[in-house]
Amino acid sequence: MKPEVIKELNEIFGEDRCKTNPSDVYVYGFDAGIHRSMPDAVVRPMNVQEVQKLVLLANKHKVPIIPRGAGTALCGHSVPIDGGIVVDMQGMNKIKEIKVTDLYCVVEPGVVCDHLNAALKPYKFFIPGPASSEAATLGGMMACNASGAKAAKYGATRDYVLGCEAVLPTGEIVHLGGRCLKNASGYQLDRLLVGSEGTLGVVTEIILKVAPLPAKKAAVVPYFDTLRQAGEVVAKIIAEPILPSQLEIMSQTCIQAVNKATGMCLQECAAILLIELDGHPAAVIDEVKVVRRICEELGALDIDYTEDESRIAELWKGRKQMIPSLSSLKEEYATVMLADDMAVPMSKVPDALEAFQEISDRYDIIIPSYGHAADGNLHTKVLMDPTNPDHWKQAEKAVTEVFEAVLRLGGTITGEHGVGITKAPYLFIERSEAIGALKAIKRALDPNNIMNPHKIQEWEEGFVTHLRYPVEAS
Amino acid sequence: MKVKHLKKWKNELITCTMCGYCKNVCPTFLDIGWDSGSARGRNVLAYGMLTEELEPDEVAALRLYQCTLCLDCLRRCPSKVNVPEIVEAARADIVDAGLATAAQKEMIDTVKQAGNIYGTSETRVPPQEGDITLFLGCQYLERPNQVKVILNVFNKLGIKPKIFEEVCCGVPFRNLGFFEDLEKHKEKFLASLPTRELVTFCPTCTLFLKEEYDLPITHATEIVAEKLSGANPKKLNIRKLDIKATYHDPCHLGRGIEVHEAPRKILEAIGITVKEMPLNKTTTRCCGGGGVMLISDAPLAGMVAKKRIEQAAATGVQELTTSCANCVGTLRTAAQASGESGSRMKVRDIWYWLWQALK
Repeated sequence: MKPEVIKELNEIFGEDRCKTNPSDVYVYGFDAGIHRSMPDAVVRPMNVQEVQKLVLLANKHKVPIIPRGAGTALCGHSVPIDGGIVVDMQGMNKIKEIKVTDLYCVVEPGVVCDHLNAALKPYKFFIPGPASSEAATLGGMMACNASGAKAAKYGATRDYVLGCEAVLPTGEIVHLGGRCLKNASGYQLDRLLVGSEGTLGVVTEIILKVAPLPAKKAAVVPYFDTLRQAGEVVAKIIAEPILPSQLEIMSQTCIQAVNKATGMCLQECAAILLIELDGHPAAVIDEVKVVRRICEELGALDIDYTEDESRIAELWKGRKQMIPSLSSLKEEYATVMLADDMAVPMSKVPDALEAFQEISDRYDIIIPSYGHAADGNLHTKVLMDPTNPDHWKQAEKAVTEVFEAVLRLGGTITGEHGVGITKAPYLFIERSEAIGALKAIKRALDPNNIMNPHKIQEWEEGFVTHLRYPVEAS
Repeated sequence: MKVKHLKKWKNELITCTMCGYCKNVCPTFLDIGWDSGSARGRNVLAYGMLTEELEPDEVAALRLYQCTLCLDCLRRCPSKVNVPEIVEAARADIVDAGLATAAQKEMIDTVKQAGNIYGTSETRVPPQEGDITLFLGCQYLERPNQVKVILNVFNKLGIKPKIFEEVCCGVPFRNLGFFEDLEKHKEKFLASLPTRELVTFCPTCTLFLKEEYDLPITHATEIVAEKLSGANPKKLNIRKLDIKATYHDPCHLGRGIEVHEAPRKILEAIGITVKEMPLNKTTTRCCGGGGVMLISDAPLAGMVAKKRIEQAAATGVQELTTSCANCVGTLRTAAQASGESGSRMKVRDIWYWLWQALK
């Protein structure tokens, strides 16, 4: 990076909030995905004016800027492929306003999701978060349109963003949406920024809708001989109609991993469902009866049940730790973030799970399956030795087949993690006819291509590249 | 630069999924702000050194030495990636690269020469024979008046402790990454022991003696709690203090070896009602002084300690008690520097209160 750029960065941020030394900068070359690439500088803005100055500087010098939250995204979203300046938004972490009578709150993008929920709890409100809610920031969640286990009933981040303040790629500060639950004033540009992965602007403030906390929760945990049985139970519960607040499916490999990593004692079987029902106490009790009957009718081996809040929290803690838990399952194998969050129509969940299992067996690699069955969002990971190039070759073929299977079933390559780099090659299959429009939007808003370049529809390579692992020569 | 000590951690560093669950429990990240100052960031720095993509420099050294080794990242990690031991291994490679600071080297030289961290070979506490053997540790030996209080408590409880000429357990060598010096020192330490069965006080020594030497260790609060549980209060003439205090679990005691009930039983027995901080027992928050932080970055230690004092103040009490001389020192300094609200928080060792109840 040119010395004059560094000089100007120091003028904006001071030396305390601008780092260019190799060690501090090195850490920002990684997120929770498989890629890495080093930035030239990292800055920590504290307000929208500093972000605006930074964006204008980036345009002037044609330097990439890469907005970043907690760095917990799974597909290389914040990996600076061309170097440039990473914008660490974690310093903008104030909860600015909570107004539950109007059903909204206003936050800076660096607020961690669980911290906001801790602040909302006394008001008896919350926002649904992803499994990584204890680490993920709301800015990052907005950038990836993140969601989690509660999405079927409570929706994704896009359903909570009422408005935002952002600095556009050409440096204008804009206020989009607003504090009203309804807003039809022109193009919904705030919605466009949701899921844009930092390619269309830097969000500096978010207005979020809040949801009331349910009065009661109960959890039903049925165990099954086959993944298909579990999938059929999901379909029947939804058709009842009952909309669980969470409905997770875990395959045998996942059960083993969670038991091993967390000391939980889930019964080992082909599949289990973690079903959470919430709402008015009387309604919850009625729904529990129906869910238990469905599980019994469709051949559940056993059914656990609890209304105890701490036990329910323990169950979800185990589920939330799935990704890292898988990494400790087999020595010298690691959880590699590949084919990590496809979604299919709910009725296709059993077909998808069987397809994943068949692909896993055929390529002789471990592809554990789990996910949010009530909204059809299924997660797989690849357990492999990421230093072994042969494993990468097998994984690449298997992942391609997984995505092909999902698209055949009418699904999508990503339900909640976004595209980034890792899934970009498959976006061109899923959205082939829309790629031109996506590129046109990017060019219109970011003519100098400075904002997180080479992501989503701008990616032009396969995914086995810029790997963070030290892959050994074959 | 080719690393030596980090090599054994290759699998763990690759296994780390970078989920970031360790970030928000990392006490120093909350004050440093940069990802390089978080548990996950230190893993990445170690990874860079291991893969030789990152040439260690003063900044990498600083970030690695800014870890308090509080173990909360390890507790929170679902993959069980041992960040604290990775940090220590990375520090060892930093030492090999010649990047240890003068203060760190001075402390190591002190322990090598004097056999303890306070630097004098004179006897601080006269040796005596007894039924159980105490290992007081440098942190307590550095404060002879506190040792007198401890011995008074033991006498009152009818326990005659053996005191011997102690040599530092060697934990500063490991914490600071002077691994080769540690191997040499271990012989000296083991030769100084009159017995393998020790009753310990310093939480860090306690954890280290268990892990490094596999010694059968009992923490002193466990002995006292047991004694008090079967005791007749009238016979022991225990004065119920009738005060409210919060108890700060030292990381290596409350989390490291999970001794958290014994101190609370003691406090209950002497009439201290504990108002718990939300982060307690295995989820305790570091005082800021762990990992030899006072040598490496004292201002940061003060910032971490200030947050803990604020958590204590939020319980509504004005007394904080703990079972670690180092925690007492760090937290007391922070309380006194915290302005009006913090300075009202009195920080005292559990042994002080025991003696107030028994004398």
